[in-house]
Amino acid sequence: MKNIQNIKFKFLLVLLVGIVFTSCEDTLEDVRENPNTVTTIDDAPLFANAVRSLFGGTLDQGTVRFAGMHAHYYVAGSTSRQPDQYIDGFDGNYNSVLNGTYNGVIRHSEEVLLLTSNEETPNTVRYAMADIINVMGFARITDGFGEIPYTEGGKGKSEDILTPKYDTQQFIYTDLIARLTASINVLKTADPAMAYPDSDPIFDNDLNKWVRFANSFRLRLGMRLRYADNALSQQIVSLSLADPLMEDNSHNAFMIQTEGQGNGWYGNRTGYPSIKMSTFMVGKLENTADPRLAVFVMQDENGNYTGQKNGLNDVAFGQSDFASKSDMGLALSSKESKMYLMTAAEVYFLRAEAALAYDNEPAVANDIYRMAIETSLRQWNVGAAEITNFLASPIGTLTGTTLEQEEQMGTQMWIALTPDYFEGWSHIRRTGYPVIEERTDSDLERGVTNGIMPKRFLYSSFELSSNGTNASEAIARQGANKIDTPIWWDKN
Amino acid sequence: MNKLLLLIVAIGFSISTYAQKSISGKVVDKTTNEPLPGVSITVKGSSKGMAADFDGNFTIQNIDENAVLVFSFIGYKPQEISVTGQTSLNVLLEEDAEALDEVIVTAFDIQRDKASLGYSVQQLKPEEFAVAQENNIMNSLSGKVSGLQITQGNTGVDGSSRILLRGITTIDGSNRPLVVVDGIPVSNGSSSGNPNGGRDGGDALSDINPNDVATVTVLKGAGAAAAYGSRGMHGVILVTTKSGVSKDGIGVTLTSSFTVTEIALTPKLQNEYGMGAFDSFSPIGSDGRPNLDYPSSWSYGPKMEGQPYTNWLGAEDTYSPRGNTYEEFYQDGHSFTNGVSFEGATDHSGFRMSFTNQDTQGIIPNNTLNKNTINFRASSNLTDKLKIDGKVTYIKSKVKNRPELGEGASNTALQLSLMPRDIRLEDAKKNTLDANGNEIKWNLDNTFNNPYWALNNVYNEDSRDLFQSSFSAKLDLTDKFYITGKTGLNYRVSDGTRHAAAGGKANSNGLGNYGTNQSKSSSWNSDILATYTTKFSGFNVTGSVGANYRSDYSKSIGVSGTEEKVPNFYRISNYAIVSDSDSMRKKIVYSYYGLGQISYGGYLYLDATIRNDNSSALPAENDSFWYHSENLSFLFSKFFGLKSNTLSKGKVRASYAKVGNDTSPYRTQSSYNINQARTLDYTVASIPGTLPNPNLRPEVSNSWEIGTELGFFKNRIHLDFTYYETLTEDQIMSVPISGTSAYSNYITNAGSIKNEGFEAQLNLIPLETENFSWDMGLSITKSKSVVESIDESLESITLNSLMQVSIEARPGEEFGTIYGLDYLRDNFGSKLITDAGLAQPGERIKLGSINPDFYGGISNNFKYRNFSLRTLISYQEGGEFFSWGRGYREMFGTDASSLIGRVDGIIEEGINENTGFENTTPVSALQKNYTNNYVSNIRTDLIFDASNIKMKEIVFTYDVPKKALGNSGVQGVSLSAIGRDLFFIHNATGDIDPDASNGSSPTATALEHASLPSTRTYGVNIKINF
Repeated sequence: MKNIQNIKFKFLLVLLVGIVFTSCEDTLEDVRENPNTVTTIDDAPLFANAVRSLFGGTLDQGTVRFAGMHAHYYVAGSTSRQPDQYIDGFDGNYNSVLNGTYNGVIRHSEEVLLLTSNEETPNTVRYAMADIINVMGFARITDGFGEIPYTEGGKGKSEDILTPKYDTQQFIYTDLIARLTASINVLKTADPAMAYPDSDPIFDNDLNKWVRFANSFRLRLGMRLRYADNALSQQIVSLSLADPLMEDNSHNAFMIQTEGQGNGWYGNRTGYPSIKMSTFMVGKLENTADPRLAVFVMQDENGNYTGQKNGLNDVAFGQSDFASKSDMGLALSSKESKMYLMTAAEVYFLRAEAALAYDNEPAVANDIYRMAIETSLRQWNVGAAEITNFLASPIGTLTGTTLEQEEQMGTQMWIALTPDYFEGWSHIRRTGYPVIEERTDSDLERGVTNGIMPKRFLYSSFELSSNGTNASEAIARQGANKIDTPIWWDKN
Repeated sequence: MNKLLLLIVAIGFSISTYAQKSISGKVVDKTTNEPLPGVSITVKGSSKGMAADFDGNFTIQNIDENAVLVFSFIGYKPQEISVTGQTSLNVLLEEDAEALDEVIVTAFDIQRDKASLGYSVQQLKPEEFAVAQENNIMNSLSGKVSGLQITQGNTGVDGSSRILLRGITTIDGSNRPLVVVDGIPVSNGSSSGNPNGGRDGGDALSDINPNDVATVTVLKGAGAAAAYGSRGMHGVILVTTKSGVSKDGIGVTLTSSFTVTEIALTPKLQNEYGMGAFDSFSPIGSDGRPNLDYPSSWSYGPKMEGQPYTNWLGAEDTYSPRGNTYEEFYQDGHSFTNGVSFEGATDHSGFRMSFTNQDTQGIIPNNTLNKNTINFRASSNLTDKLKIDGKVTYIKSKVKNRPELGEGASNTALQLSLMPRDIRLEDAKKNTLDANGNEIKWNLDNTFNNPYWALNNVYNEDSRDLFQSSFSAKLDLTDKFYITGKTGLNYRVSDGTRHAAAGGKANSNGLGNYGTNQSKSSSWNSDILATYTTKFSGFNVTGSVGANYRSDYSKSIGVSGTEEKVPNFYRISNYAIVSDSDSMRKKIVYSYYGLGQISYGGYLYLDATIRNDNSSALPAENDSFWYHSENLSFLFSKFFGLKSNTLSKGKVRASYAKVGNDTSPYRTQSSYNINQARTLDYTVASIPGTLPNPNLRPEVSNSWEIGTELGFFKNRIHLDFTYYETLTEDQIMSVPISGTSAYSNYITNAGSIKNEGFEAQLNLIPLETENFSWDMGLSITKSKSVVESIDESLESITLNSLMQVSIEARPGEEFGTIYGLDYLRDNFGSKLITDAGLAQPGERIKLGSINPDFYGGISNNFKYRNFSLRTLISYQEGGEFFSWGRGYREMFGTDASSLIGRVDGIIEEGINENTGFENTTPVSALQKNYTNNYVSNIRTDLIFDASNIKMKEIVFTYDVPKKALGNSGVQGVSLSAIGRDLFFIHNATGDIDPDASNGSSPTATALEHASLPSTRTYGVNIKINF
């Protein structure tokens, strides 16, 4: 009896403990690691991400919501047109423009720079390519905001810097150009096998094209300094002209977005906010019988090209019959439309400008200008006969005073930059061409800039609170945090 | 060994058989005559003893003829009965008025006399939470428990609730208390919408069926909850379900209730001006329809006087107001709940099984909830020494069309509140699709839909299968030493599907979309606890050691697609662009703990706990952490032997606890995601935006409370008062950081919050006679959470934001301070007005705080013979919220307040910024409302007082007298009429419900935007016992 009781209780005890602890099959170490991610990775997939993010950035809010309308390419419908009224209550949008590039291009290119420069797996070729992408990312941000965190910017993971200090745009530009020069020199003699044979979204690992691309970008940055630091500008331009540049459309840096819904302009045109091309753009193309009119602008329901006027106040906008106006052309706004980082046409325009301004060679400038137009027309598959006709028309030749030639060139370059509307806005800010008149008509909204085209984005309230000391220093140097405060290179 | 000794002694006694007898009987409650299971019966002067069975029956063999039996039961007066000359006993135990206190279920299901507890605790009975038939049982606790703040947004039939116990203690996280059902922690998660859209995905606590619950106990402070480890940091709500007891009759109970829900509060809209801007009609476009862009499609047109015009559809019409669109669009919802339960018990075992079906139809025509709950609980004394208890609950629920909220394009309330006032809802209903199958909208902006298009073409449903089981065993090794083991599994499978038809631009640019997601989660909890009890020289000592293992696992798989191929077919194959997701999470925690209690003289009680948690969510170096609690209760009235009628009870208590907390898994290691790409011939990877922290430490919360319980005049006046303070430091947070670091957040130990306050509960019995009684309860809570510090690199942490109003945690200020732009002012505070007559945005300042100054409830219960009436009024004083709903309606000209200045314009009060003279330039109402609210983002006038007094609940019950039921076999019938959220007695903001948030996060109540109408519910409830 004793024995039975004893056994029974021992059995129950074991059963009890057993029940409770059968469920304990794991140790803490077994489950500590995140099963949804990997902890180590080759840098190639991160490089691909950085490059794709750079392309994605050409359709970010900074472009779609602000630059495209500031540069008078188009007008968005409904509340999305508010930036076109030169007002500035877009704190959240400004914040996402700033963060978007840092969190995409910069975050991933910084990681590649880290991985390709560490002692175990150094790779100077990959480093150079990632550095080019990183430079382009920073250039884009500083062009929108002016002073930005650069030296310390993007170093949240690599150097634990959570509140990076700002640098002057002058310093940033100088350094960006120096880095491009270093990368160009590496890539000129690099072995493609060391690069990204299977992970290059732009040029399929053609390093020759990479050199042209980086050098063309250096030319862009060099020309950007024309009015801010003319001597440096001239020096950089001559350096660029000595190295290979983009020379035809096969050198263009473009990508076709095959993922998701394709090119975002498709959605912007067909869905919300229903973008209409501007009277300004349609007028410029119509006045010169530009064959790109039919490419960039769609016919309205009546078969005409009708633009929407920029900057209308609310009453005038209500009466403007916005819905009936011309949409963006299919070549620009189809799912498979190309997204561009830079084109050969732009390079010719920059060279033409340099020839005129720096070399004082009007004839050379004219030749290059015609090359620029021809390259742009070819880019949009305009037929040979139309190209000949267009080049033969008055707009095909630079005429008038130097200033008039500059304006002619500047306007044509603005057209050719389509659909890189952000660069179009920078171009206007730098050169003043095409001229965006101050808004004085009573049906136009003058916004917070007194009718002057906005010149930059605002540092957001979140940036001012999360990185306040540094942002305040930048504001103290650069000028008030307003949309009409010009950034350093903007002297026109 | 002791057990064996006892056995030998028992056998020894049985052999000697001198003057021995056996006796049996039944123990019942003296007043109710209900059997009392579990009453402890001991033979005085010996160690012999047993417990009454489920029917209150007992039999004791072989006891001395002259023995005296002692019957004792917690909450009752002990009784001694001599067995001399008796063979059967009917024992009537009387409730101990002196004990005055209920028996309280505390941590680990240990039943304690409330007087012995050194912390604040409140327990509720079924009549307080089961009669009013809330979908989420927690909502029934609102206003009834001091320290507990529950707000339920207007988010559809299965909406989640914001639950805070003693306010906010952590910056990051839900701050929701842990909920423990029958000893097993259950998921207390909730998924909520937000002012920018989204849907309220419901509340895990809706899975507790009120009809199956016996008691709800709220353990408020960390001192009470420390035994539950880190998860008890925000307090614990213990739910004990009913177990089977023997009843008169066949033990079958039927409950049935039917309630109707109707809209109670909607924004006050104007009925004088229709579509247009600046007093003109909207210009007619080339398509024959008016311009539907802003501001032409706002309600700033001419005065509506029945004149002919072209309406929004392009048809000739008369221009007149069309009435209250809310009342036209929303319907009366209803809910039908039926339940049946069976219970019974034999000498050694008891069981209860129940089935409950709930069918609810919301105020939005297609928003429904269907829920079935099957519950089975059984327990048995397998031997004298071994008791087992098991439970299985299965819940199947399905919700259709959880409404989209806030700025979400399918939010019907957003449309109704902004649509021009001359649009007939009937026209919107009849005209949803044009000839091309595209939606006919009233406004081109993306967030604006035809509400009927959305109703007919945007769909979602989700179903949950929830399986909860627990098993426990208690083994008495000796009469002083026992071991309990408990294991419980919660397993949930959720399945959600949604789609939007093509043709509405707000949904995937008109291409249509579809998505389906399946997830399963399990949480396994196991405990083993050994307890030893002893007495020596006046001390009662109980000590326990235990261990716990918890494993949480979840896995989720989903596909979604856009660009539909053929209409009206919703399967993934019908979508051109597809993406999918696949993820899993796992976390385990091992714990070891000890509990101890010493009491002396029935007036001094000391409790202590110590616990060690080891969590996989923390880095290996810091994954083990200790904490402890000490609670002291001193019944001074008993100690001093006070026997006055004036002071019938006096108790002081004190509690201190240090609690640690871990975090969610995978926050310590950096890693890379592999991007999903379907068309690329290369791989793309990305780095998550949150910087992990390999050096995380557990967060620590130190809290103490002191309290007193005082009873006067035989406890007809009873006061329970607590003051508490909690300092939570080293909080683990995901801190938002400047994007210029290339990251958006980083995980860190930073910040401390000091939370202090008091809560008081005053119970009064003003009248008590044989037939009539009136008792009253008043509760008041004041809780204040001050942010002492945050991460040093930050000035403040934005907790929530909407339209440039942010809810912040800023050092030195209250948690949940509301910041936004004020008017531009001069040094004297006058607004600076432009030459155009417009006010301008000024500085970003503190505009309010989400925290009430104090809140509570007033309950009154009247009882006359078989009638009873329970009423509950809830109140809140202070606290503010931002209503962007109001701001938007003003801008669209639909709000009644937008009538101001329609004729002569509005002259902003203030001085001209250039002249310094008083502003005299009028601006149009449209210009003012648009500029201030939308362009300048001035928020000063859109912050509202959340103070309110609400008639929360009225329950009128009639218990049919037993004699009226006669021999029908029916043991009891109880009929109730119930009303919930009936009306505001006072609402400072008038036409906006201060609780009308879009979600259940701690700061959700701060931001109102286009909320669904507030509702009131009333109905009947019947309960029949057979």
